[in-house]
Amino acid sequence: MPIDRTRFLSARIVRNEGRGEIFYRIEAIIPEPVRFVPGQFAMVSGWPGNDPLLPRPLAVFRSGGTKGKGKIEFVYKVVGRGTALLSGLHPGETLSITLPLGRGFDLEQEGRSYWLVGGGVGFSSVFPAAAVLGRRRARFEMFLGARTREHLPPKEWTPGGKEPGRIHLCTEDGTAGYHGRVTDAVLERMEGLSQESIERLVILACGPREMLREIAAAASRRSVMAQVALENHMACGFGVCWGCVVTLWDGDRTAYRRVCREGPVFDAREVVW
Amino acid sequence: MVTPDLSVSLGGVRVKNPVLSASGTFGYGLEFLPFYDISRLGAVVVKGLSLAPTSGNPPGRIVETAAGMLNAIGLQNIGVERFIGDVVPRLEDVGATFVANIYGKTVEEYEALARRLSEVSSLGAIEVNASCPNVREGGMAFGATPEGIAGLTGRVRGCTAKPLWVKLSPNVTDIAVIARAAEEGGADAVSLINTIVGMAVDHRSRRPELSNVTGGLSGPAIKPVALRMTWEAAKAVRIPVIGIGGIQSAADALEFLLVGASAVQVGTANFRNPRACVDILEGMEAFFREERIAALADYRGGLTLEKRP
Repeated sequence: MPIDRTRFLSARIVRNEGRGEIFYRIEAIIPEPVRFVPGQFAMVSGWPGNDPLLPRPLAVFRSGGTKGKGKIEFVYKVVGRGTALLSGLHPGETLSITLPLGRGFDLEQEGRSYWLVGGGVGFSSVFPAAAVLGRRRARFEMFLGARTREHLPPKEWTPGGKEPGRIHLCTEDGTAGYHGRVTDAVLERMEGLSQESIERLVILACGPREMLREIAAAASRRSVMAQVALENHMACGFGVCWGCVVTLWDGDRTAYRRVCREGPVFDAREVVW
Repeated sequence: MVTPDLSVSLGGVRVKNPVLSASGTFGYGLEFLPFYDISRLGAVVVKGLSLAPTSGNPPGRIVETAAGMLNAIGLQNIGVERFIGDVVPRLEDVGATFVANIYGKTVEEYEALARRLSEVSSLGAIEVNASCPNVREGGMAFGATPEGIAGLTGRVRGCTAKPLWVKLSPNVTDIAVIARAAEEGGADAVSLINTIVGMAVDHRSRRPELSNVTGGLSGPAIKPVALRMTWEAAKAVRIPVIGIGGIQSAADALEFLLVGASAVQVGTANFRNPRACVDILEGMEAFFREERIAALADYRGGLTLEKRP
């Protein structure tokens, strides 16, 4: 039975490798493969002791394996003490993982074409979506943004990387692909679309809040459906600490909703930017 | 091997073991059903309930600190009516012993909550939150003085025949005096500690980390303070004391029992390990078996202050 409901597991690390000192990819063995929706996440810890105390939320990057022997992969960037400690763990050591958590991207729309936008480490949420859409032979394009070429995800991590026509690389310093912010690449390309194409378009985005805000605004102007994966500090990841709330529209009023439970993926129009 | 008797009476409600969840860290209990059968716990203490649904504080609610965390949630909750209508039947189905933590902005709101919840026959006890540091009115405003605690406890006592627990704040000069005031006001038990008021700032942005500026510190960082206060309170009152604060393991929980707590509540540990409460319970059972201790009563309060020979 694949894991499709939230569970708390121990996992044995089989690989934990850094790429260019920026991104790490960690792989661990779990009892069964996980059936997850792209955009869903896990709470992950594994360093000894009580400090830092809390597990870290990481997007589920990949899962596979066979009955009785599952495999789970995460990609992360070292941003603080928790991820630094995570990067120091070795094969054979144990991770504690709660997964799958939250509400992922809605990829079930008939006859749509998708734009997947990943800024920085945000690709860790959109690559799984690309993998699903690729398997389904759905139409999609991917926009990946980073400060420099070195900050882009390694090519071999890209799903469907053999068809590069569908991938738009963007770097702020111009060392690869489009010279500028991924946001501007998306906005420019949206400008050129026919009304017919606009109506078919769904944007899925994960990245810095400013990027999401601008993409949400542009999508709204042209009535394009956009789903954004938000991040926040969270203690539990499964809805009990109420620490990770963001402000959403609720009719003409606003309400606090949990990123971990009602999100992390929200309809961009719902978010109070 | 005989199973040790871990049952204990907590001011009128008998629980099967002394491991309880702490309010505010366990949702309404149901969120933990994917992880284990919550009816195994002594009791589930649910998130603080107010009369009307409460939206809580703006985002920027939690920040991690050394071996702990600060929170300023501001008691976001679904309100007592939805709790009774939607949650209680499901807790009854699960067979959990459950306790409602209540919070009001005025004494009258606490009274109304106690009256309404007294109608819930399956409810095990009411825990009065006189100690939340993250709301402007109510909460800690009542818990900071002996007069405040005695007055609030007495008024709520007058509204309910349910076992009445009062959850105390550590942000006081003398916890013994406060615990006695709760006892004199008619509490059947006291639970302590709630979080310790703290603060975190970002030295670069020059801003506080929490939207509320200050928040409540929890986690292993506060355990020594909680243990000391539990010890002091247990010496000061005859009613049961429920120890809370930074409990992460069975050993931590046993330490609270040793200094006089009748039971413990496990809080922040649930965030890190959703199975924390049952892991602690199983560890405690294993300890009693190993040490051949037949009943909780034979261990509880057994701290020896005599010098080592």
